[in-house]
Amino acid sequence: MDALQQLALILNGVTSTITVSIVSFFIGIFVGLPLSFLRVYGTKSAQILIDAFEKFFRGVPELVLLLMFYFGVGLYFPFPFKNVFFTANFVLGLRSAANQSQIFRGAIRGIGDEQMMAAMSLGLSKVKSVLYVMLPQVIIYSTPGLGSEYALLIKDSSYAYLIGVVDIMAYAVWIRKATMDTFTPYVISAFLYILLTFPIATFLDRWGSRKKKQLGLERR
Amino acid sequence: MTEIVMECKNLWKIYKDIVAVRDVSLQIREGEIKLIFGPSGSGKSTLLRCLAMLTTPTKGDVFLRGECLTKPGVDLNKARARIGFVFQHIYLFHHLTALGNVELALRHVLKLPKDEARKRAMSALEEVKMEKWANYYPAQLSGGQQQRVGIARALARNPDIILLDEPTSALDPELTGEVIDTLRDLAKKGTTMLIVSHEMPFAQEVADEMIFFDEGTIVETGTPEHFFTNPSTERAKKFMMRLIKRTRRE
Repeated sequence: MDALQQLALILNGVTSTITVSIVSFFIGIFVGLPLSFLRVYGTKSAQILIDAFEKFFRGVPELVLLLMFYFGVGLYFPFPFKNVFFTANFVLGLRSAANQSQIFRGAIRGIGDEQMMAAMSLGLSKVKSVLYVMLPQVIIYSTPGLGSEYALLIKDSSYAYLIGVVDIMAYAVWIRKATMDTFTPYVISAFLYILLTFPIATFLDRWGSRKKKQLGLERR
Repeated sequence: MTEIVMECKNLWKIYKDIVAVRDVSLQIREGEIKLIFGPSGSGKSTLLRCLAMLTTPTKGDVFLRGECLTKPGVDLNKARARIGFVFQHIYLFHHLTALGNVELALRHVLKLPKDEARKRAMSALEEVKMEKWANYYPAQLSGGQQQRVGIARALARNPDIILLDEPTSALDPELTGEVIDTLRDLAKKGTTMLIVSHEMPFAQEVADEMIFFDEGTIVETGTPEHFFTNPSTERAKKFMMRLIKRTRRE
């Protein structure tokens, strides 16, 4: 099998890699955003729970999480944990939520209580102040950080082949096993991973940094 | 006598071991302009924030048109909607244009339809002569322009009273003039205002009463005339001397 044929095969895994990464990324946003606001404005007990959640998902290696949920938890709850796509997105998504919650929390701190106070001074409720004043700014403020988080997800999605997701990595390993070529399939996959991470991560970083500067979001 | 718009009775604000506001009582009537001045760190900002219920007073009561805001169960969002607040450091919303900043409360507090909110926001911007800058973001405006938008944002809802916390002291000296002019216009229209400021010529011109504030409490009150000619306490005398010297230097 020559390199081009290998590439053609490995390309079949790109969809899975992208799907897992993007789904996890959005799980990360939709879970991470509320967590970050609850962590800052919520009750003491909410803060403790969120801290525990973040410590767990950030502290345990991703490989351990994947194997634990797929083989361990999946033993007792085959539905839904024996579905490889579910478990891959569950683990990557929640770990990303833990990361993103910290990114967003940094943004809330960076933007400052003053914006919240100014919103409240107009008669907006706390929820509306968060919705109309804090949230849009938090998202812009966080965009450069989200770029790195997206790159991390693309790369870390490669672990998911171990529980059976047929992604770029899975094809590379199969080709290695079938052809005994230990070099080309990995180089090709490395190239594909760079192609998938670099442009989008750079774009988010540049766009976010420029927007932050334009709006004067950095605190002086 | 006109109606009392805002009043506080025996107001205290105590942080852990600092008494920021000490037993303050004052009244502001319809159309009145009162001006608070005093050394920095004397609790003026804290007092204003207590009156706007942006921070909860430790003891004492705040009334807005006779309604007590400090008893439990009051809808503070509704109360705050009737109080305009202008901050020393302005705090415009960075992600919204000048118009967006003014419109926000009209849309989501007063719940006006889009067109009407826009119309009222524009007329508030006209009042502070910022209509040409409606579509600029705060970062594109000078400090003085930002503060005028801040004032438009505070007055667009037609609040019962506007509280202004040193609206010019964070600005470069050459930019204070335009903000003072805006405030002068508001004064002419009979807007009820409580202003923390050290702009003495302006105070002399518009204030119905001046309040000398030090160490968290009211030391002396009187007309501008009284303070400029013969303040009765030693502390006020000294402070006035310093202010007048500073104003001359400028």
